Amino acid sequence: MNMSHVDEGTLHAYLDGELGAEEAPGVAAHLTQCPACRARLEEERALIARADELLGLAAPPARAVPAFRPGDLKPLARLWWQVRWPLAWAATVLVALGVGMYVATPRVAPVASLADRVERGAAPVAAVPEPAAPAPLGRAPERRAARSEVPAAHPALPPRAAPHAAREDQPTARARADLAVQADSLAAVENASLERQETASAAAPPRAARLQAPPTAPVGYALFEGAPYVIERSPLDRDSARALLGADPYVVPDLAVRGIYRARVIGYSAVVVVEQALDSSRVVAVMTGRPASAQRSAVVVTGAERVDSVAAMATAGRLAPSARQDSIARARQAAAPRPTPAASHLQVEVRGPLSSDSLAALRRLVQPLRP
Amino acid sequence: MPDDIAEVYRTTYAALVRFLYRKVWDIERAEDLAQEAFARALVHRPASLRGWLFVVAANMARDEARRAVRERHHLTLLRSAPPEQAPSSDDVVEAETERARVQAALEQLTPRDREVLLLWDAGLSYEAIAAHTGLARGAIGTTLARARRRLVSAFEEGRQGEHVARG
Repeated sequence: MNMSHVDEGTLHAYLDGELGAEEAPGVAAHLTQCPACRARLEEERALIARADELLGLAAPPARAVPAFRPGDLKPLARLWWQVRWPLAWAATVLVALGVGMYVATPRVAPVASLADRVERGAAPVAAVPEPAAPAPLGRAPERRAARSEVPAAHPALPPRAAPHAAREDQPTARARADLAVQADSLAAVENASLERQETASAAAPPRAARLQAPPTAPVGYALFEGAPYVIERSPLDRDSARALLGADPYVVPDLAVRGIYRARVIGYSAVVVVEQALDSSRVVAVMTGRPASAQRSAVVVTGAERVDSVAAMATAGRLAPSARQDSIARARQAAAPRPTPAASHLQVEVRGPLSSDSLAALRRLVQPLRP
Repeated sequence: MPDDIAEVYRTTYAALVRFLYRKVWDIERAEDLAQEAFARALVHRPASLRGWLFVVAANMARDEARRAVRERHHLTLLRSAPPEQAPSSDDVVEAETERARVQAALEQLTPRDREVLLLWDAGLSYEAIAAHTGLARGAIGTTLARARRRLVSAFEEGRQGEHVARG
């Protein structure tokens, strides 16, 4: 395709993963043919990384304090009264809502926790234990928070701490039992899928290569090793994902790709999430990230027990954070560094509410997505 | 169905504080304003919560800046000496210097370029930024390109300027 050169704004939109599906392929095609534009693309990529880095230097100081502080003696009287009444009112509603919903669905956790935090003035967030081993991606916000002295004091913590508090306050035998069943069956299904995958081989073209458009354009949020990240609204095509990342995103081979999305994670210039179906109702998310400053990438696999939309990925995180974190830690240890010739700087991580063996197995399987 | 407010709170609070901090440059004010934005959201129940929060936050930060200018004016009349700083380590001083450089660089951007850059950094999509700023969606890439370039060059110029002044 012999289109004219790509302008600066288009290059930035392309690198940001924000070029529409109608424009991106043309740009990608031009870039393959035009060394000059490719060189400019790399310049713009470096510029974006540098700008992100500078913004990171101007990040607010790390603060453990969440929204509402008990016994705060600072002269906040005006704000306190404006803020407290509506929240107290909402807390009542949310608690009532939460008790009903808690039995039905684990999604109530943050609802209850917000209310809970409001009721008690503030959750003692600093007391919530850190995950067993901070992931490279999870560390990013701390790195960006310009030499913060207390890692646990990052502002990303309060939201994550909430589910812990809520769960501890409201232990429900039934919910725990459900959780155990779900986790076990997921592990079983996943192991079966991995075995099947080893036997099935070159006969069929890898299903991963077939991109299926998701029925709806999901928007959602999930935990990225403690750091909140945002899944952007529009699905990416593979070319955009590749351009965004500067490399092929990682996938688990032979699992159908349900969708590719961009996620925003502080400290990362690009994060691509590939949703893949384990079976008809279960999805894993393979996340490939490129750090904003260092030329490193990381891959995280997140498992979810029933993912209709990406939003449910967050649910997976809420179901068993402690078990999950332990599994992550184990999987990370178990997973030997895997040399990837194409991108030797890539780091691979596996996580999800699965057994550590399954996580390690998935982690060993991820490969760059090929066209 | 509006976005689940607790979910948005969980995922957006830190980004909103960051966004506000780069406008008011005071972490406590930024947190207060972020809390107030959420408190207002609980009352107003906007349909598009995330975008609404940033609009409200931006407006509050603007009012805040106007008030700050007035108050600073008062303060300079009341006392001419700056308040004494607590002693701090080299690392803290260094980090603070860098932060101040970035702040100075950000303030050299046009308000519109700065707004677009900060909204992007807060995790909003081009679509959402366009809706927020009134720019065409197709103009966001160009605006971001200009804002990033200006930020980096202003930062480097500021640093060189300091070296010249010092040395």
